[in-house]
Parts: sequence; C-alpha cells; structure tokens
Amino acid sequence: MRITLAAILLSAHAALAAPDIVLAIGGEPETGFDPILGWGGYGNPLFQSTLLKRGPDLETQADLATDWVLSDDRLVWTLTLREGVKFSDGTALTAQDVAFTFNTAKAAAGTVDLDVMRSAEALDPRTVRIVLDRPWITFTEAFFTLGIVPRTYGPGYGRNPIGSGPYRLVSWREGEQLIVAPNPHYHGPRAPFGQITFLFTGEDTGLAAARAGQVQMVAVPAQLADAVPPGFRAVPVRTVDSRGLSLPMQGPVTGDPAIRRAMNLGLDRDLLVDVALMGHGTPAFGPADGLPWAGKDDRVDFDTEAAMDVLDAAGWTPGTDGIRARDGVRASFAVNYPAGDSTRQALAETAAELLRPLGIEATPKGGSWDAIGRVMGAEPVVFGFGSHSPYQIYSLFAERLGGVEYMNPSHYANPAVDALFEQAQGAESLDASYAAWSQAADHYGVRGDNSWLWLANLDHVYLVDDCLDIGRPGIEPHGHGWPITAGIADWRWTCE
Amino acid sequence: MIRLPVLLLLVSVAVFTLMKLSPVDPVDAYLGPAIAHAGPEQKARIAAAWGLDRPAPEQFLRWAGHVLRGDLGHSTAYDAPVADVLRDRIGASLALTGLAWLLSGALGFALGAVAAGCGGWVDRGVRVYCYILASAPTFWLAMLMLALFSVTLGWAPICCAGPIGMPPDQVGWADRLRHLTLPLAALTLFGVAQIALHTRARMVEVLQSDFVLFARAQGATRRQIVLRHGLRNAAIPALTVMLASVGEIFGGSILAEQVFAWPGLGRATVEAGLKGDVPLLLAIALLTTLVVALGNMAAGRLHPVLNPRL
Repeated sequence: MRITLAAILLSAHAALAAPDIVLAIGGEPETGFDPILGWGGYGNPLFQSTLLKRGPDLETQADLATDWVLSDDRLVWTLTLREGVKFSDGTALTAQDVAFTFNTAKAAAGTVDLDVMRSAEALDPRTVRIVLDRPWITFTEAFFTLGIVPRTYGPGYGRNPIGSGPYRLVSWREGEQLIVAPNPHYHGPRAPFGQITFLFTGEDTGLAAARAGQVQMVAVPAQLADAVPPGFRAVPVRTVDSRGLSLPMQGPVTGDPAIRRAMNLGLDRDLLVDVALMGHGTPAFGPADGLPWAGKDDRVDFDTEAAMDVLDAAGWTPGTDGIRARDGVRASFAVNYPAGDSTRQALAETAAELLRPLGIEATPKGGSWDAIGRVMGAEPVVFGFGSHSPYQIYSLFAERLGGVEYMNPSHYANPAVDALFEQAQGAESLDASYAAWSQAADHYGVRGDNSWLWLANLDHVYLVDDCLDIGRPGIEPHGHGWPITAGIADWRWTCE
Repeated sequence: MIRLPVLLLLVSVAVFTLMKLSPVDPVDAYLGPAIAHAGPEQKARIAAAWGLDRPAPEQFLRWAGHVLRGDLGHSTAYDAPVADVLRDRIGASLALTGLAWLLSGALGFALGAVAAGCGGWVDRGVRVYCYILASAPTFWLAMLMLALFSVTLGWAPICCAGPIGMPPDQVGWADRLRHLTLPLAALTLFGVAQIALHTRARMVEVLQSDFVLFARAQGATRRQIVLRHGLRNAAIPALTVMLASVGEIFGGSILAEQVFAWPGLGRATVEAGLKGDVPLLLAIALLTTLVVALGNMAAGRLHPVLNPRL
C-alpha cells in the first residue's frame, strides 16, 4: 500500500517537474533529420549538436568545440573538442566523427555547400584540423549549423538520427507528428520537458488544436495573429526576415541613381508595414537590419519633398498623367512577385501605390519563380532574405555572384564593396570581420548606391500558452516556425 | 491482356513528359531556402547525383529499366527509396480509401434503391441530396465537417491517425477508429452520390419495363418487384460505377488526407508534385492507374455473371 502511494506521489512529482508539451510550428524536413542534407540550418537541430552555437544576441558560444583557432594565413582551423561527449546511443563522440561529418557533407549532394573546404582530419581524438582553399571567414557558418553525425552514418540516418543533441527521436509519423524525449547522454543542462511533440499538420489544424487546449505553441501568419485563444498570449518575434525590391543596374529606369535614391527617400515604410503587414513588421533598410554586420547608419527618414527634389534635379519631369519621364523614357517598371505568396503580393501592391505620388509607376506582376528567373536581370522582384550569417551580404552584393542563381540578382558591382568583402573574408575571426561587412553598407546602402529598395522585416508571431516561458527569443532569420527552437534549452513550464 | 502494360506505359510517358515540361526545378525545390547560399557547382552536383544531367529520354529509359527490374527508384523529395515512401503510407491510405469505397458503394446502392422504390418526396429528397454532394468538392466538405464536428462541437479529433503525442505503436484500436471516423465519413459522403444516382436511374428504368408490367399483372407487390427484379438489374450499373469510381475516391482521398492530416499517400502526392519528384509521382500514378484499370476490368468480368439476361 505504502509502495503504491509512494509510486503515485513519485509519478505525480515527475509529471510536475517534466511536463509534456506540444508545438505546432511546422518545419518538418521531408528528407529527414540529416545534417548532411541540410537539417539544422535554422533553429535547433534537436538531435545533433554543433561545434559552436549562437546566443540570443548572436554572440558565439562553445558547444562541442571548447577552443577554436584560425591560423595566421587564415587557411587552417584547429578545433579542440569538449571531453566526454556521447551520442544518444552511448558511444563517444570523437574528432574522427567531426572530420567524417565535414568530409561527408562536402562530398554529399545535400544542401550544405562546403566548396571552400579542402579537407578535414582528426589530429587526435579531441582535435580536428580543417584546411580551406582560401581565406573565408563565413566558412564558420558550418560550425554553427552542421550537426555532427557518428561514423556509423549511412542511408536511412535521417529517419533514425543518432546525435549528441538535447533530444532523441521517439517516433516520427511523416506529415503528422514528431515525438522526442530528452537524450540521457546530452552534455548540456537536462531538458525541462518530459516529451515534446511537434505537430506538422499546418496552420489551421494547429490553431484548432490550440483552441482545444491540445497544443502549447502555434506559429501563425500575420492575418491570424490577432485571434488569440483564451489562455494564450501572442509573442511577436523580431526578425531579419526581410523583403526587398531588387533594382537591376542594367534597367533603363532602375539603373538610374536618382530614381533609386528618390524611391528610398520617398517610400513611407511605416505606412507600408501598417497596410501590407497589418502592423506585424518593421521597416527595412537593408538585408541585415539590427545584426552586427549591418551598416551603422544605413537608414533614411521618409521625406517626399527631398525625393521630388532629387527627381527634378536629375531631369525626370512629370508628364500629363503624373508619371515622370526623361529623354522619352517613362519612370515605369514592373514589380514581380511569386504569385503564390500573398505577403509579397501585398507588399508589391502597396509599395506601387506609395510610389505613384512620386511620379514613379510600378506595376505589380505575379508569376512563377521560373518566369521571374527569366526577367529578374532586367525587372525588379520582391525577394525575401534573412540569415544569421554575413554571407548573406556577400551573396547579395559581390560582383562575382552577379546573376548566379538567385544571388546578386540586380548585378550590383562596386570595386570598393568587393575590396571590403575581401578584407572581411580574410579577417582573423567572425567577430573581427563585422566591421568590414558593416562598412560595405556605406557603399551599397541608402547612403551610397541605394542598390535595393528594402521594404520590411516581417514579424514572426507565435501564440504561446500562458504557462510556457520561452525566455527572450533572439532575432529570427528567414523562415517562420522552426527557428523559434533556437532557444529551446531555456524554455520553462511555469504552472503547477 | 496486352492492354494493361500499354496503358501503364502511356501513363508513365505522359506523367514524365508533363513533369519535365513543368516549371518546377527539382533541385531548386529540394534546396528551398538554402538556395540563397548554394552555388552553381553544388546545384550541378545534386543534379548529377539524381541523373538529371542526362537527356530526358535517357532519364526515362533508365527509370523504366529499373522499374522492370522491380526497383521503383529514389524519391528526391523524401531522400528515400520510393518503395519505402509508399510502404510507410499505403496502409493508412488503403484503410481510409478502401473502407470509404465499400461503404459508399453499399450506402449509395441502398439510397438509390430506396429513392426509386419509394418515389415521391423520398425520391426528390435523395436526388437533391445527391446533386449537392456531387457538386461539392471533397476538401470543402471535409473542411466544413472539421470546423463543425472537431472545432465547434469537439466530438471528433482534430487531426491525425492517433492522439497527439502518442507514438503510433501505442495507439489502440478504439483510438484508431475514433480518428478514422471523420475522414471516412467525408470520403463516404462524397462517393455516395454517383452510385446512388446511377442505381436510381437504372431502377426507375427497370420499374417501367415490360417484364415488371408483366410481374405486376401477375399480382406481385411493388416491394416484391423491387427486391426480385429491381435490385439484381440495378446491381450491374451500380457495381460498374463503383469499380470505375475507385479513381475518384482515390483522388478525393488525396484532398481529404490533406485536410485531416491523415498520414497516407495524399500528402506524398502533393509533395512529389510541388518538389518535382518524378520517380515518386510516377510510382503513385502507376499505382493509381493499375487500381483503376483493374477495377474496370473486374467490372467487365463481373457483368456477365450478374446480368440475369445472360
């Protein structure tokens, strides 16, 4: 009798200490939880751990690696691993596993691009050496995102992941739910939850489940953010999930510096956010607003008068229909957006209305990415970006990436920017590279070439159970949902 | 017997051609947001690993060669063998689609027979009901049912094939049934209309025929006539329609599965289409073709057996 009572008390206590939670935040990877194929690029890889991790303010923190040194010629990384780390199956994680992960990811046809890496090798069980082809500081992105897999890695790993992360996989029913439990061998603090279920059933179902009290967190689009179920609160998270208009340098209208400057001056971004995003966003002036590698004063105040003056001075004179023209060229262009994306459509249409008073005619045009790909060298497109790596800046403004895939779609080219990029890539550490990245904004940004017309950063809204404390979420990258798990180690259940 | 392989070949050529003509680039779709930092070398490597760097006809022949040897190929969307992707999902789909097919057949036949047998306002009521159902899209019907029974009334579970947070191997039979009910109901309601209307039409035709007039002259009651002559005659078109409707039910299930988050083939089909996953979509298309063709062939074979005049 006494034993039974003790057992009941014990189990009740366990339930209190480690509650089960259910999250409906999407993010299901079709290819499984395989870091080699790109799992873990955003948010917490959950089943694996990475060499380094980022704090809420993007500061570098140790994870698997306790020490990381870049050689003076910037070509050789030497990393020392934490002692006593084990995979969830109990085997030890050694430098051989790290070297294996990097070499496998380089060779694999996955989404991890390690082209700049020459080789990775284990010097001893706790030391890894990685050799690069050229100085390339943004290679460190792989330290933050590439989860380490054991050497037993093989086909089917993604559906049965073994790693050194805070959780282990209990069951995954694809398209329905993922159930995870704390990994008993994890090297960090013990997870405060007994079991976490991730529901992959879409927004509507997730919201319905929240109303029924079966889900503790839901990622919702801005349109649904104001319908908060009882017992929940809306948590808007700041992001660098930016939307911007590319301004092709070769375009007869968008290539003109006066037009670009006038649009950046004369677009009321606050009104744009209020109308197109229903207030769930912030004005954007660059692709990395608020991050350490953004331009220091890379923003302008909304000023219609100044915008008009710029256009007048450049010889763009208003025609009878109010649209300006110069030498027979009308200040008119199409604004392309992917037809399936209602947020980008709203931004395109609102921005077009806001530009019209300046005498600039922007015509929104929805299309497939294929159709957009054919015209994006000549016509503006509403693009979406946002990354925790300064490589984002490089891919948008480096001349050598002009028109390569979706990188630098406006064919921006400025030798001063390229020189700063080279300086940044040759920096002694990621932190040391920020100054050069940031300086580049003086050239590409609104105080320089006005290379893009950045519109807004989207807020990511989560409806969270009042009992779930998710700490202070960091600034989130492109992608709404899974990135919130970046801080999952600090989440707490606050109710009895 | 030669017709089935030819049909399968034609369908696979058509699906393959359409996929190749579609604007979806499977490599771009696979990369997703990673496209922002994947270089052209990386993309070329992925394309080469999937054999997409070869000319389209060669890709098709290689695929066909593998299929003939029993290898369905590799799904690019799921990065797993197509056979594995199908195996993980086909059970759930068969349970839902198969039951819905049987139930809608039985229910539709009964409804059609009752409508023709009773006539009057019952007939009119059944007909209006069937016309509404036949013109309502399944996913819309499914969404309405979900909103009413799961969200507003709370009678049925909101999603999935089992309770939230319970691993599939621990889900009991009662829970399984409870979660099956609503998707099954939606899909059954959708399938009923066609069969009911066909049964009713045939039944009405039979009831106006000479031999029924003869039977009535001999003193048979309406009830006897319906049971003895009507049902057997109406069974033929009903069965034919039912066997031919396999494809429709399967198509409807793809949409219903999306709405109810049912872990069957539906989602895999949508994913394969959106991600340009040719091997997976081809496999699903072939499977569907096979089922529909076999259904029609079975209808043809059963016809002489059931026809009282033969």
